[in-house]
Amino acid sequence: MKSKMEAWVGKKMERREDARFLTGRGKFLDDMRLPGMKHAAILRSPHAHAKISSIDFSAALELSGVIDVVTGEDIKAMSNPFPCGVNVPTEYYSCAVDRVRYVGEPVAVAVAENRYIAEDALDQIIVEYDVLEPVMDIEKAVSPDAPVLHDNIGSNIYAHRDFQYGDFEDAVRQSDITVEGRYYFNKFGSTPLETYVVIGSYNPFTEEFEVYSNYQGPFVNHSLVCIALGVPENKMRWIIPTDIGGGFGNKTGLYPYAALMSLVAKKTGMTVKWNEDRREHLLASATGTDRVTYIKAYLSKEGKILGLKDKVMDSPGGYIRPPEPGCSFRSTGNHTGCYQIENLDRDVSVVATNKGLTAPNRGYGCGHLYFSLESIVDKAARKLGMDPAEIRMKNFIQPDQFPYMTATGGIYDSGDYPKTLQLGLDMIKYDEMRAFQEEARKQGRLVGIGLATVIDPSVTNIAYVTLAKRPEDRKEKPKSGSGESMLVKIDPLGTVHVIACTNPQGQGHETVICQIVADELGVIPGDVTVHNVVDTHQRVFTITTGSYSSRFASVGTTALVKALRKLKKKILVLAADMIGASEDELEFAENKVRVKADPKRAVALRHVAGRAHWDHGGLPDGVEPALYASVVYSMPTSKAPDEDDKVNSSNTYGFTGEAIVVEIDRNTGEIKFHKWASFHDAGTILNPPIVEGQVMGSIAHAIGSTLYEELAYNENGQCLTASFQDYLVPTAMEIPRVEIGHVESPSPFTALGSKGCGEASTESTPAAIANAITDALSPLGIEITELPISPSKLWHMIQEAENSN
Amino acid sequence: MDINGKYTFNAQPEQVWGVMLNPENLRDALPGCDRLAEQAPGQYEAVMKIGIAAVKGTYKGKVEIADAEEPVHYTLRGEGSGAPGFMKGSAVIELQKSDTGTDVVYKGTMEVGGLVAGVGQRMISGVVKMMLKQFFQNMSKKMPQQTN
Repeated sequence: MKSKMEAWVGKKMERREDARFLTGRGKFLDDMRLPGMKHAAILRSPHAHAKISSIDFSAALELSGVIDVVTGEDIKAMSNPFPCGVNVPTEYYSCAVDRVRYVGEPVAVAVAENRYIAEDALDQIIVEYDVLEPVMDIEKAVSPDAPVLHDNIGSNIYAHRDFQYGDFEDAVRQSDITVEGRYYFNKFGSTPLETYVVIGSYNPFTEEFEVYSNYQGPFVNHSLVCIALGVPENKMRWIIPTDIGGGFGNKTGLYPYAALMSLVAKKTGMTVKWNEDRREHLLASATGTDRVTYIKAYLSKEGKILGLKDKVMDSPGGYIRPPEPGCSFRSTGNHTGCYQIENLDRDVSVVATNKGLTAPNRGYGCGHLYFSLESIVDKAARKLGMDPAEIRMKNFIQPDQFPYMTATGGIYDSGDYPKTLQLGLDMIKYDEMRAFQEEARKQGRLVGIGLATVIDPSVTNIAYVTLAKRPEDRKEKPKSGSGESMLVKIDPLGTVHVIACTNPQGQGHETVICQIVADELGVIPGDVTVHNVVDTHQRVFTITTGSYSSRFASVGTTALVKALRKLKKKILVLAADMIGASEDELEFAENKVRVKADPKRAVALRHVAGRAHWDHGGLPDGVEPALYASVVYSMPTSKAPDEDDKVNSSNTYGFTGEAIVVEIDRNTGEIKFHKWASFHDAGTILNPPIVEGQVMGSIAHAIGSTLYEELAYNENGQCLTASFQDYLVPTAMEIPRVEIGHVESPSPFTALGSKGCGEASTESTPAAIANAITDALSPLGIEITELPISPSKLWHMIQEAENSN
Repeated sequence: MDINGKYTFNAQPEQVWGVMLNPENLRDALPGCDRLAEQAPGQYEAVMKIGIAAVKGTYKGKVEIADAEEPVHYTLRGEGSGAPGFMKGSAVIELQKSDTGTDVVYKGTMEVGGLVAGVGQRMISGVVKMMLKQFFQNMSKKMPQQTN
């Protein structure tokens, strides 16, 4: 057993991937050239809601270099709508058919010799629209006189569920005080550096599609695309390159374009490449939903939260498509965050509006959840005259309660919330900051301290999506799981190779895989090669395959360790035989298998491999030639929801918080960060610099979404922020200095005790910033209930408050 | 967006009316107008080249003069679409006699969509103001010289 000092896991190790990224040797899909490849450009709807009366592309076909134009009519003839896990009939194709329902929706595809000509072709396509009234506001969309987007649904409600957990009526009776509020969380995306790229081709002789794309999983959508296109799954080959420039969940929404380009390739008989530009990405790839929440908390006068009632309305946009309505149900297991709240009354609606479509987006609904939950906890603290740290400590799940089953069926694996919050408070010197605040207030300065403590769920249990249907409607085809597959092999000359399909988008999987292999096999990371490519023909994959919901660090690494230990069993059989010792005397170290008590008695790992590869006939009975092991592993805590709508929606749960000190300039509304501590417990840390990168990255994304970014639409449904001029992604100048602290409470459910950590601070930061600003503005009675927050909005609020006094 | 304003011509309302509603003058005065061809009384087919920020392109559509009450007021409606998106607007234009000549008061709205709306939003009102200024300046060149 390696000591922590000697182990590679947990060591500060530079990433293997970076050498190729920094020297331009990364293999990104845009670099790919296939013989005879043509280029596509997509004509997109300029209207938010309209009937398509006619499409005339005859002039486009006249241009030299244009091969063909494909429209929604062709797509409808060649495919079925994508299946979706809701009760209402949905008709979502990869191209608009008869009607457009959001600005940017694909209306036609032009294919030409190069992208320039393809775009010139778009200019020649004449589309006649019959403009309809759009509906942009979620609450307006559910009112009876709102324009209805889908006539076959009859209303704008894609799904609606209500839930009760525990004994809510009793909680209401027992409570001494209540606090309530309405909170609005904005629509934003993670703007990965690399946009969607798809290269599709069709072989009419074998009737097989071959599609390269930078899709990020889950591969359930490969099956869904096959169903939509009416092809057997072994006639649709998807190949995902190792190098993808960021995903953050947004690339889970790529599959409709994979379907579209497959059909375009089939119709034109060409290999067709499409590379999305930034405007297309902002309008029509995938972003998070916006959300309206009404929340009410019931507390005892001592500050214990007895019950929570909430009404949530999300909008996946003009169409609903998988994995939505995941946005509304993803956080089911961790709905009560880090608190012991047993009694809930929930009302969840998934609503149609004429906005761009949604998909998972870093944090996938948890930023939304915690904005309202953490705000209401602070509001309760204010009402009771309690310190916000105190009310949290009082309601935390305690360290001796793990594994803890939440009211909604979540199984929290490990954590020490009081210790981790205390770490954060110590990092910013909380008491000193409160004193500083008091002094500053005497001078009329607006200084505030904001806290947020949240539970970061990682490794999706795909079962949660079925919560959109009532128990009686989902009984027949249960869905559950978090499966990941790993294969480890040792080649004839003794070198180690891992074949993974974890589908990374820059998270550093290759590096961590090498660290883990090095520890298990007694080699060094440099001895290991990793091949991480998802190829649906050549890999064993399953519906959950992919990198999303931060699953690599938990289920990915566990599958790897299991594969390695399976391989080691076989190696020990051969090595024991070669050394003349018994298996339990042996250890793996320094590229050898050797007797622990007498290290001179050893055999080189490469010689064991040689035995397995070079002399098949001389192997002991029952031992197969070659040296490899493969595992497909799903965490046992991934089960289908029960009859009471309880589901363990994730498999590992980390704890994260932010403690932020801000000051607001009364005259300009400008927000200044004085101090920021980010405190994390994601179990065992596998690679410290990778974790630091994830924390800072998730903070940067959240600063963007809270203070700068918003997919804004006007009342006519026009997107006003379709370029980086107006969609303000923060630069390094906007990110303050953050101090990061860690506690490690290993998960008992993963092989190395690690949990996902890549989304944590995106979930806690919006609430923490809002709470800090509310605290700063509390002398004026201002509460932040809507995001994003801008200096001009704050300035107006301050003026209004000062004028009314 | 709202489009409101006033421009004063050094001419009488009847003269201003005659000049402003003449289709050839309209075509010459509208910045970027390539074509303005009468389809029916008061209804014109129009082709305009407009640039907003980096989004330059051709818009094809129609212009309509309606509710005309000579020489007091009329409604001007236009809409066009093209690669850069679409534009649609209407304004009520009133001619008011003043000491110096005629005040042309316009009050209307405009809607923009597609590519130009998504990336040119902050430029639009500035460009519209500039186009209106050019339009009126061009028109004033067409006005008959006044004798004092």
